[in-house]
Amino acid sequence: MGRQTRLLFGLSLQNLFGWNVFRHTRDAGKRRRYRLFGILWGFLALILLFYVGGASFGLCYLGAGHLVPALLVMVVSGITFFFTLFKAGPVLFDREAYERQIVLPVTARAILVSRFLSMYVTDMLLGFLVLLPGMAVYGALKGPGLSFWLYGIVAGLFLPLLPMTAASILGALVTGISSRWRRKNIVAIILTMVFVILVLAGSFSLSGMEEGMLEDMAHTIVEHLEGQISGIYPPARWISQAMLEGRAGSLALFLALSVGIFLVFLGVLQFFYGKICSLLGANAARGNYRMTGLRARPVLGSLVARDLRRYFASTIYVTNTLIGAVMQVMMVLALFFVGKEQVEEVLGLIGRPGLLERVMPLALGFLPGMMPTTAASISLEGKQWWILQTLPVTRQEIARSKILVNLMVAAPFCLVSEILAVLVLQPGWVDLVCLVLFPALFLLFSAVVGLAVNARFPVFDWDSEIKVVKQGSSATLTVLANFLAFLVPMVLLVGCPGVPSFWIYLGMGAVMGLVIMVVDRHLEWQSREK
Amino acid sequence: MLKIQNLTKIYKGGKTAVDDLSLTVHPGDIYGFIGSNGAGKTTTIKAIVGIHDFDKGTITVDGKNVRRDPVACKQIMAYIPDNPDLYEYLTGIQYLNFLADIYRIPAGERQERIRKETEDFGIYDVLGDLVSTYSHGMRQKLALTGALIHEPKLLVLDEPFVGLDPEASLTLKEKMRGLCDRGGAIFFSTHVLEVAEKLCTRIAVISGGRLVVEGNTEEVTGDKSLEDVFMEVIGHGKTD
Repeated sequence: MGRQTRLLFGLSLQNLFGWNVFRHTRDAGKRRRYRLFGILWGFLALILLFYVGGASFGLCYLGAGHLVPALLVMVVSGITFFFTLFKAGPVLFDREAYERQIVLPVTARAILVSRFLSMYVTDMLLGFLVLLPGMAVYGALKGPGLSFWLYGIVAGLFLPLLPMTAASILGALVTGISSRWRRKNIVAIILTMVFVILVLAGSFSLSGMEEGMLEDMAHTIVEHLEGQISGIYPPARWISQAMLEGRAGSLALFLALSVGIFLVFLGVLQFFYGKICSLLGANAARGNYRMTGLRARPVLGSLVARDLRRYFASTIYVTNTLIGAVMQVMMVLALFFVGKEQVEEVLGLIGRPGLLERVMPLALGFLPGMMPTTAASISLEGKQWWILQTLPVTRQEIARSKILVNLMVAAPFCLVSEILAVLVLQPGWVDLVCLVLFPALFLLFSAVVGLAVNARFPVFDWDSEIKVVKQGSSATLTVLANFLAFLVPMVLLVGCPGVPSFWIYLGMGAVMGLVIMVVDRHLEWQSREK
Repeated sequence: MLKIQNLTKIYKGGKTAVDDLSLTVHPGDIYGFIGSNGAGKTTTIKAIVGIHDFDKGTITVDGKNVRRDPVACKQIMAYIPDNPDLYEYLTGIQYLNFLADIYRIPAGERQERIRKETEDFGIYDVLGDLVSTYSHGMRQKLALTGALIHEPKLLVLDEPFVGLDPEASLTLKEKMRGLCDRGGAIFFSTHVLEVAEKLCTRIAVISGGRLVVEGNTEEVTGDKSLEDVFMEVIGHGKTD
């Protein structure tokens, strides 16, 4: 690593997880918030640890323990690819940061590598969170030799490189193509969503294969399963061979491929890097405005219109919040075209008639509501927050405009999904009411929860939208709260087949309605305090 | 027009930014608020316009309490920070039209006001461009236009002349005088003592969060320059 890269990388490391701010801030409230979210992240890591450990134990118990390394590699690679797909473009091509750094005596290559490394560190830590508990369980049960640990750790260090490079290539393509258009953000949003849909469609077909694989595994047809793994992702087989059979050559092959592809990517991209960053900043100014008539809107309408413009001005914001709605439509489209029986088979619901119909309203509400736009909408006001603070609008008007934006963005997806679901499932009147009303209520609930959390934990001094949209504590807490609101009725719907689903939805709806009312009042109270 | 009584603001961590500050701005006043860096000017201004809450005291705008009736107060005043960050994803005209919607300016009226104000500041031709393409000075001019289109009774400005070209500075001074002639009032902070001396009808000097001098410009300066007076009272402030 060159000196320039090391210095720039060191700079970004200081900002990792807000560590430097935590160390130096004198604001006791801020420090408390950092500690709180440290505990929250620790808790999430613990859940992941138990989940991976449990899954590895299950495989060993079924007599397929030797598949643990390969499956761990596949999971880590999949997670890394998916996470990097969204953030690669905005992180690598952060124009403002590029302009701050390029005026220093550093090369564009050093900037590019340092940014890649800053993503790499977080992905590697996440990878080890998956890898280590799985390895520990296998190690405890099977007692492998030193090469298992040594090669496992070395592989873990380089594991994010391939999926990150692949995702970065897509990110660079999206940014490179969109930078040449006048409406860069819209083009970037469309391209990213197209890639995401392709990846999701691919992973759906893979998950179908996994179901089949797990069934096979239960029948101990392990050789077949191994064939599947190497077919899907050959590096998983190489690492598995290195860890289980001590084949250093397989590990070397993996390392050579990872580093080689990364270097080629870097070598090609560095030629276009500066140009893409410059093009991103080149907004066309025409300077020939002529007033033709201005449209007056009511206050709420004007706030909503502005919020919508803000929303579509950020690629990362749109792609991160629309992914659930896209997944929802894809799920219902699969139901529509593949048929109810086959979807039930893929989801393992065979022999449980009526369960798909029972859980459908919940699934249709949760997927688009999982990550509402409101979870970051206050934080994204950023340094422009002073405008809303000093305008004659109430906190409640601001809150309602942000909730309305979330509903306007997600509702079309929800409506299409509901219509398709009704056509496929042909529910009775009571189930129809649940199918139409509950997803709408869940959408509203998740938007209100997201806003309440973001109002409580806003961050205005961010330097990159990713920090509030993807990595923000508010976004994490909102996803957790919505997941809890999904989990409770899901357990009841699946675990209590004797209780009519209508009553479960009615009860859950009443609780959600109550939460919405309480939050609405709380926000009103906050506006008086301001 | 603006009455501040016993304003005290203590930041988290215990630092008293503003300490028992009282002042009154009458209709027709161009009120200059002067002080060193960190003296408490911006904190006071942010308390007036509703960005910061405060610990003690009352602030009223045209008789309305900023805590009890913030929306009514904001309806009749306008604020521009020292470095106005504006919505970069909007065009200039979209930003101004958004403000006109919020201040409920009728469609026909807003068109005339926007045209006049932007022509005065020389940014009419670029109104169709995104704010992200504007220079610092152009953003300042757009922010000033946005603050003036609803014809506020009280204009609160934090270092308004920083970043403005000489022509725009002159236009702003004319606008300030015009607003005061119509019965409005201006409350602004500045480091540029020459401007304050020539432009302001009243002046206050703040040091360490406390008001150390306040009065009509002629009374405050007497036969000295404002710079001399400022250095004198700041010196007193430090020894106190």
